[in-house]
Amino acid sequence: MTRIFAQLRLGLVYGALSLAAFVSIFPFFWMLVGTTNTANDIIKGKVTFGSALFDNIANLFAQVDMLQVFWNSAFLAIVGTILTLAISSLAGYAFEMFPSKTRERVFAVLLLTLSIPFAAIMVPLFVMMAKLTLINTFTAILLPSIASVFIIFYFRQATKAFPHELRDAAKIDGLKEWQIFLYIYLPVMRSTYAAAIIIVFMANWNNYLWPLIVLQTNDNKTLTLVVSSLASSYYPDYGVVMVATVLATLPTIIVFFLLQRRFVEGLTGSVK
Amino acid sequence: MTGLKLRGVRKSYDAVEVIKGVDLDIAPGEFVVFVGPSGCGKSTLLRMIAGLEEISGGDLFIGDKRMNDVDPAQRGIAMVFQSYALYPHMTVRENMGFALRFAKKPKDEIAQAVNEAARILELGPLLDRRPKDLSGGQRQRVAIGRAIVSHPDVFLFDEPLSNLDAELRVHMRIEVARLHKELATTIIYVTHDQVEAMTLADKIVVMRAGVVEQVGSPLALYDDPDNLFVAGFIGSPKMNFLAGVVEQDTVRLPEFGNQSIPLGHLTHPPAQGSEVTVGIRPESFKRGGDAGLELTIEIVEHLGNESFAYARQSGGQMLTLATENGRSLQPGQRIAARFNPAQIMVFDKSGQRIR
Repeated sequence: MTRIFAQLRLGLVYGALSLAAFVSIFPFFWMLVGTTNTANDIIKGKVTFGSALFDNIANLFAQVDMLQVFWNSAFLAIVGTILTLAISSLAGYAFEMFPSKTRERVFAVLLLTLSIPFAAIMVPLFVMMAKLTLINTFTAILLPSIASVFIIFYFRQATKAFPHELRDAAKIDGLKEWQIFLYIYLPVMRSTYAAAIIIVFMANWNNYLWPLIVLQTNDNKTLTLVVSSLASSYYPDYGVVMVATVLATLPTIIVFFLLQRRFVEGLTGSVK
Repeated sequence: MTGLKLRGVRKSYDAVEVIKGVDLDIAPGEFVVFVGPSGCGKSTLLRMIAGLEEISGGDLFIGDKRMNDVDPAQRGIAMVFQSYALYPHMTVRENMGFALRFAKKPKDEIAQAVNEAARILELGPLLDRRPKDLSGGQRQRVAIGRAIVSHPDVFLFDEPLSNLDAELRVHMRIEVARLHKELATTIIYVTHDQVEAMTLADKIVVMRAGVVEQVGSPLALYDDPDNLFVAGFIGSPKMNFLAGVVEQDTVRLPEFGNQSIPLGHLTHPPAQGSEVTVGIRPESFKRGGDAGLELTIEIVEHLGNESFAYARQSGGQMLTLATENGRSLQPGQRIAARFNPAQIMVFDKSGQRIR
């Protein structure tokens, strides 16, 4: 009797897990299948591979200057990630390494800003950018994001595990503070950086709302904006949308797989 | 070889003063050990000498040069840290040569210095490994090697053996002593382990609460401490302290059946009726001796070469006795613990020694 119950229990567990796996994986599968089918087939709910892949690709490239769009997205994601990491990791390092009376108060105010939703600052930010005549420029996308409070917080917490004696040893070896940061801190904290790269790159690559407001001409549009506009047209060609979606998903998957080992290390504590 | 001079050196964090005016002379080539309980300021003082902590007041001279505001790298010092502080992303060779590489020394000079240090510390086979692949003792040797490579005038050691197990600590202690002999450089060594202090030092600086309590050779501190703190800190097991009252030429011990011990050996005996503390080292109890205490043994520890007995009079305070011939001692046994009254030390109420 107990054996039957145990098997039933096991069956339920596997059933639940299979359902969760299906729910997670099916959208990806459907996206891939969709790239090979026509819009009509997709709407009808066809879930087998078709033969419209090359048509869909050709249509996408006919409708959109994909190289330009891809370049825009890549430029913003890569430059944004580099700048965010440089500024925010320096800030996190400084917050942890240099004691001062006001440090905790300033940090508390910074953390408080995390509770303000982006929608609340969107309009003032837009006005600010307009006054700086930065609307429809990449600078307007990059500027508000490079001092990321979350990444500063993340680096400050990670820096707590960085042995301060390494900094002392480096000072005795003759390094200045910026050299300690560059030659000791940075390589020692590489797992932390890897995790931060994934987080920031994905956030930048998938950034939608702010570019939607700021970027106003087609030659500046990013991939997320293009996917969105393809999907929301009067008669969306879902095969083309699926191809664009695959292209939009690929870079984040590649970055994640390249850095996944370090990502896990970075989130579980990188200093050994 | 370079010596050091500290004149009224102070350190404050806001209103809290942690180093309260240290005056100290360290001769060239001397091995000086800063010793004291946790929080006494010994590591802070070492870090001030290294330039890792600012000096709030007073002067620090290394050689003849005032070094208060000089960068750590320009002070002619090298430091070995408790946690080794090896750069984890570099090999042993890179760790050892890093300071020289950074100072833009020629490659062959760096290689020669690293190889020489590796020879002295027998690190040859480990040069291409990373710190995480080394044992604690090996890491400590690399840390020392890194210090040697830059040929400093003064070596600073901050509790370098604390993270090692007992056996390795003894081994490394001997290594450090050998190193001092071979390099003949000034060494300042911080420890809370008085065995390390006694065995390594030419000169011990005993610190408490930011103040230097006494400076002297290990045996001078053992034989002739200035105060109760030094007397209790130097020597293992710790010195016994008994409350006493001065009466004529003797000191009466109320907790030990009002027995009296003669004070004839004191040049400046304390005033009649004054309360004093009598210090008797555990190893001062011998068979024979002109004075004695009737005690009952409670616990005996046999270490092989010597035995420690913990004994007291009923209701009185526990005393420690150390003897080389104590294998026959048993708990519950009543003994007359004899000692030479000339060997006792007497301290006044403020803890200062009465000589």
